[in-house]
Amino acid sequence: MKDVANYKDYALLSYHHIPGVNNIEVFEKAGGYETMKACFDKDPESIKEEVKLSGLRGRGGAGFPTGMKWGFFSKDRAAKKYLLCNADESEPGTFKDRYLVEKNPHILIEGMIISAWALATQKGYIYIRGEFHQQAVTLEKAIKEAYAKGYLGKNILGKGFDFDLYVHRGAGAYICGEETGMISSLEGKKGQPKLKPPFPAIKGYRGYPTMVNNVESLAAVSWIMRHGAAAYKQWGTEKSPGTKLFSISGDVNKPGVIEVPLSTSLKDIIEIHCGGMRNGKKLKAVIPGGSSCPIFDAEVSNVVKMDYEDVAAKGSMLGSGAIIVMDETRNMGDVLKWTLEFYHHESCGQCTPCREGTGWLESVFKRRDKGTAKKSDIDLLDKTASAMRGQTICALADAAAMPTQGMIKAFREELETYVSASPKK
Amino acid sequence: MSDTKKTTPTTSGETFEFNAANLATYKEILTRYDDVESALLPTLHLVQEQNKWIPPQAITYISTLMSIPEIKIKEVISFYDMFYDVPVARNMVQVCTNISCSMFGGREIYQGLLKHFDTGYLTPTTDGRISLQKMECLGACELAPCMRVNDEYVKNIDLAAAIQKLGELR
Repeated sequence: MKDVANYKDYALLSYHHIPGVNNIEVFEKAGGYETMKACFDKDPESIKEEVKLSGLRGRGGAGFPTGMKWGFFSKDRAAKKYLLCNADESEPGTFKDRYLVEKNPHILIEGMIISAWALATQKGYIYIRGEFHQQAVTLEKAIKEAYAKGYLGKNILGKGFDFDLYVHRGAGAYICGEETGMISSLEGKKGQPKLKPPFPAIKGYRGYPTMVNNVESLAAVSWIMRHGAAAYKQWGTEKSPGTKLFSISGDVNKPGVIEVPLSTSLKDIIEIHCGGMRNGKKLKAVIPGGSSCPIFDAEVSNVVKMDYEDVAAKGSMLGSGAIIVMDETRNMGDVLKWTLEFYHHESCGQCTPCREGTGWLESVFKRRDKGTAKKSDIDLLDKTASAMRGQTICALADAAAMPTQGMIKAFREELETYVSASPKK
Repeated sequence: MSDTKKTTPTTSGETFEFNAANLATYKEILTRYDDVESALLPTLHLVQEQNKWIPPQAITYISTLMSIPEIKIKEVISFYDMFYDVPVARNMVQVCTNISCSMFGGREIYQGLLKHFDTGYLTPTTDGRISLQKMECLGACELAPCMRVNDEYVKNIDLAAAIQKLGELR
């Protein structure tokens, strides 16, 4: 599916070419868990410092520096604290964490044990979306192997440190990828987000300090501790160091997951890593970071570099690194309609601007189907989206509003034609 | 497919309780958490492994077993797309209709399947074989258009291939 060179060149996917690496014996032959063993002889604070130095930024979507987030966490090693791995991966277009753990669950588990030692958490959960049943089974099997080796449980490797790790399956709700929604869900409730502050690092799962990190971030911790922060920083830019997993789908010849240095150009990702456009069609637009990120037209897509700063400077977000490529045959009205149906369906319902707003946005497209939408409804979409932003407990309202406004900015005329030229007319 | 049991969904009048194996699994699940409430989602998954859906009797049973009010369990069931409080068929088929899959016909496949099997959202086919569910992003966009048949992902489907695949289900 991809060129083999791509497997070996970089960090997190560097084990993916090894057959059977999901098995702990194979992973260990490739050097796995050595870093974990070495880390138990290190001062936990020095591990946090190394992660901070690496400049690693949260890979779930927000891009907040992982080392800084860790810095907010209680240093009291005796206090009850939790480590929660976000494997919900619900942002449409994203499938990198699934690809990472289904082949190499141990890189995540090793990263979690190192992180647990650094943060002094006694219990950890991998919250994985309900649809990923097979991946949950893979992770559970790998955890069992790690317990059998004495890498998990009581008094790990005789170091007097306890850490238990469990897989917790979601049940189909986008909002559980939001860290406080995930905590509500883990607590056995509806996955409704909670007000911040207090942040989970202070008061999280069951009221205790909880560190929530994405799969890719925790796996990167394992790599960074093995090779050092300096090695990680050889890739990317000053503010966006390291490599990133990108999930690419849509109109390219070779969709899939790739790992490339941050700041790789989108053009190279499409042309070189994904084998170019399908059927030789022309590029029309790209969603750069998942469906909540404003879309880029062809012109911007051809020049943007995929790092946090450049994507933001051009009006969108790197998000989870979910790239959806669209060719000249795609109608942007369809794309926005599908996007808004999704956010309306997934609104958890507790904040009025989101519960009602996502419905209003979608209603324009329902009217279009009945033949009663007008050109001026695009202004209504813009106004409604604008009123939703920044008004709610979590970012779901913004996640619906931003791509709406981004689409209007880039493709207003096409949207006006789309809604006023109803299929019923 | 991990669950090959052919269970008859509980209809009104029958009681629900975990079989011996699942009761043991439930007790093991409790050991993973520091409180009982946190075990609710895995316990509801377990109910569906045994019974495919969560009938009112099961809600009463779980409420007593876990000391969680029935209303709390009901609101959790209604919140998550993968918990079913209506009878569903032996095989659950989820068709992705998000952006990447819709670009390659996911919606037409879903509508085509509803028509072919003459059924509606979640409604079991008359032979009790298949329930169809329109799903949001399944997290497998490189396989577009994709669907989940029980716990297995099926990639790059078209309507004919999907009908054939579902025809093989028992």
